[in-house]
Amino acid sequence: MRSCRRRKQISIAKMAEEKQESSQGEVEGVNCLAYDEAIIAQQDRIQQEIANSNPLVSDRQDFAVLQREYAEDDTVYQLKIKDLHKKYSYIRKTRPDGNCFYRAFGFAHLESLLDDSKELQKFKAVATKSKHDLVNEGFTEFTIEDFHNTFMDLIELCEKQPSLQELLNSFNDQNVSDYVVVYLRLLTSGYLQREFGFFQHFIEGGRSVKEFCQQEVEPMSKESDHIHIIALAQALDVSILVEYMDRGEGGTVNHHVFPEGGDPRIFLLYRPGHYDILYK
Amino acid sequence: MENKYNLKSPAVKRLMKEAAELRDPTEHYHAQPLEDNLFEWHFSVRGPPDSDFDGGVYHGRIVLPPEYPMKPPSIILLTPNGRFEVGKKICLSISGHHPETWQPSWSIRTALIAIIGFMPTKGEGAIGSLDYTPEERKALAKKSQDFCCEACGCSMRSALLALTPNSNPSAEDDKAKELAQQINFKAESSVSRQASESGGAESEPSTLAQGDASTSAGQEASEGSQAEEAEESPATGIEGPRPSTAPSTGRPLSPRQRRAQQHSQQVQRDGREPASRPLFAPTPRQPHDESNAGSVVLIVVLTLALAALIFRRIYLAQEYKFDYEL
Repeated sequence: MRSCRRRKQISIAKMAEEKQESSQGEVEGVNCLAYDEAIIAQQDRIQQEIANSNPLVSDRQDFAVLQREYAEDDTVYQLKIKDLHKKYSYIRKTRPDGNCFYRAFGFAHLESLLDDSKELQKFKAVATKSKHDLVNEGFTEFTIEDFHNTFMDLIELCEKQPSLQELLNSFNDQNVSDYVVVYLRLLTSGYLQREFGFFQHFIEGGRSVKEFCQQEVEPMSKESDHIHIIALAQALDVSILVEYMDRGEGGTVNHHVFPEGGDPRIFLLYRPGHYDILYK
Repeated sequence: MENKYNLKSPAVKRLMKEAAELRDPTEHYHAQPLEDNLFEWHFSVRGPPDSDFDGGVYHGRIVLPPEYPMKPPSIILLTPNGRFEVGKKICLSISGHHPETWQPSWSIRTALIAIIGFMPTKGEGAIGSLDYTPEERKALAKKSQDFCCEACGCSMRSALLALTPNSNPSAEDDKAKELAQQINFKAESSVSRQASESGGAESEPSTLAQGDASTSAGQEASEGSQAEEAEESPATGIEGPRPSTAPSTGRPLSPRQRRAQQHSQQVQRDGREPASRPLFAPTPRQPHDESNAGSVVLIVVLTLALAALIFRRIYLAQEYKFDYEL
């Protein structure tokens, strides 16, 4: 009798314990979910904040703007900006949303073609053909079509020799601008995968070129590195010069031309994590 | 439908195209927007052959954000299946839970193929995942054919084209598997992150929130999704009593029990390490013991040396003292 009662007590204690455990699990689960959603919400808020204070592509600004971004006694950057100023006079900023390289490239290139119809026709031919290359590689036609069409629409807009403001407006229309970014990402991905034998050696983390493209190239807001720039420059047969400005000592800014030995028409300024457009 | 939406909106343009693309059911999947809302779709997928889901046809909703295809769709299953929780957003990198890996060039078809490919993979505690036994899944697969969706009037028996021997499922399957693998690769890291924080409890509010998001695009959505929600609960109700038939298997039965089990699994995992060690013990332990003995000897020697020095010191000090006193 006594032992029986004891057993009962133990089982009740056990049940209580179990109950506690499960309710704890539930709380953890809810927390985890709340945490997940909170992170997403916060990311959205940060994006929104960035969006409110930075247009997708800004007006062309005087170099003094760049100077004012850094403290006067920040000698490393002030010296480097002075060094850059010898070569360039203006800067055009892009929104730091992870797509800045593609947006800066897209805008700068089309802008440079506004008064060069011969190059524009050459570029149009390359761009027109690029969709077939992607479809042949296995990209689904009806999904990439919209992005390609938007890209071609912009090129056709340039053919009509619009005002610079018109082009700028298009690049500041989120829908148009993002579709152009998507298409440039697809072109980059397509070229990397076509030339996977070469690019395989430059990919970190034991990933295949395809995996790299799925994770680092095609999703929006994934930042660009050398490998992306090389691929896009070669895919569209456009030469890009990038000035690299960081906290390294030396007082001068190094630059790099993609692909090597090209005659660049586009000049970009790279500061860790971000690309803007430079003008002579 | 054509008059209701702004055809200049990229999402509308794209979804119209996708609706045309997916108009006719295939042997493996079918999806169409609801009549009154382009931003909410219903789909049916066939369970992959050579799996516990063979013979099953599963139904669910796809909710598209106004930013589609720049933002991913959310996928919610309505048929009990033993792999994904019913009425909860699925956690694949392709669905809304991992917006960072969604690619705008993917489509609703990509999502459907991914679901098929993802069914036979392990749930491993990811959000919206279940790890039922093969028997339970097979029973649910059989039962799934009886499901009729009130919202879209779809019966699972006739939702898809019948499988024929000449139909070529292998190409589809390979595509599905390949895609699922790609997606799985990315999901793995995030899944492990979530598992460590104890995956589980996805909640209705998020589904509702998603519904609300789509409302801004298509006004009628809220009514639709409310009806949906009401309809989901009986579906979960069906799921409720079944587990009690096989509690002895110790399989995850209800979300609560599943979490409790995960908890105990975690404990097991913690406990597993020392348990598995004896397997390796003979070889690695010897050097371990030796170094242990070596350090003991070293400690003893050093202690003795220290003691000797102290004694010498005391002895010397005392000798001086003696000298003085003498």
